[in-house]
Amino acid sequence: MAWLQGSAIGHAMRESGVWMYGIVNLAHILGVASLFGAVLVLDLRLLGLWRNVGLAAISKPTVPVAATGFVIAAISGVGLLATKATEYIGNPFFYIKFPAIGLGILNVIALGYLPAWKQHKIRELSAREQSKLAVFGGISLLCWLTAITAGRMIGYW
Amino acid sequence: MYSRLSLCFTLGILALSTALPASAHHGWGGNLDEEFELTGTVVTPLSLSGPHATMQIRASDGQVWDLTLAPPARTERAGLKEGIIPVGATVAIHGHRNRDPKRFEVKTERITWNGRTFNVYPDRT
Repeated sequence: MAWLQGSAIGHAMRESGVWMYGIVNLAHILGVASLFGAVLVLDLRLLGLWRNVGLAAISKPTVPVAATGFVIAAISGVGLLATKATEYIGNPFFYIKFPAIGLGILNVIALGYLPAWKQHKIRELSAREQSKLAVFGGISLLCWLTAITAGRMIGYW
Repeated sequence: MYSRLSLCFTLGILALSTALPASAHHGWGGNLDEEFELTGTVVTPLSLSGPHATMQIRASDGQVWDLTLAPPARTERAGLKEGIIPVGATVAIHGHRNRDPKRFEVKTERITWNGRTFNVYPDRT
């Protein structure tokens, strides 16, 4: 944390004017909004909503929007953190947020290995496969909701 | 049926996540209502970075206090810029202490140094 705070990113965040933090915070919110908005739609579809809409039709726009949102949120997040990184040591929400993000990423990586997910664009899935995907959708929703909730609460600790 | 259940589940989580209590930092809820005044010498000079401007002072008993001021742009508009108040200078501050007695932090509304008062929250008395 001390290293991050002393890094070039930390210096740039602190020495680029009074609006810098606010602007990077804006980028973070836009990133999180894109990530969660897309994830929410996809996960609810995996959980069984809008079954008359094909999964492929929903995964096609939501996956790239979520991935782009994640990258924007991660990059801006490093900047926010680096500003005063050492202040977050001991903040309990911080220790909830990052494991939740880690689990969310592990979940999406594991989903990528699932035959049902790999083949959802080329064939109809069986009921069994759909319920398997629903489990991943549920875990995903829990992970990202936890990450966002804990992330928002960091500032209020 | 299944889809309706999952929707209820989602809405439930959303409702729970917004109902969590908030304290310090962004609001005044984490600070005591009574006015708090303190005099000390500047240990860490003003920083206009992060969500709020910050500063540290040492009271006469040696205790170091964290001062949380207004957001950087607002603090600057109050005339308080980095480098104005030197390290070691004596300042008097007025604000609201953190509710947690183990945390030596003051959400600072006014800071007086060398006859000048910087009122970073002029709409609060």
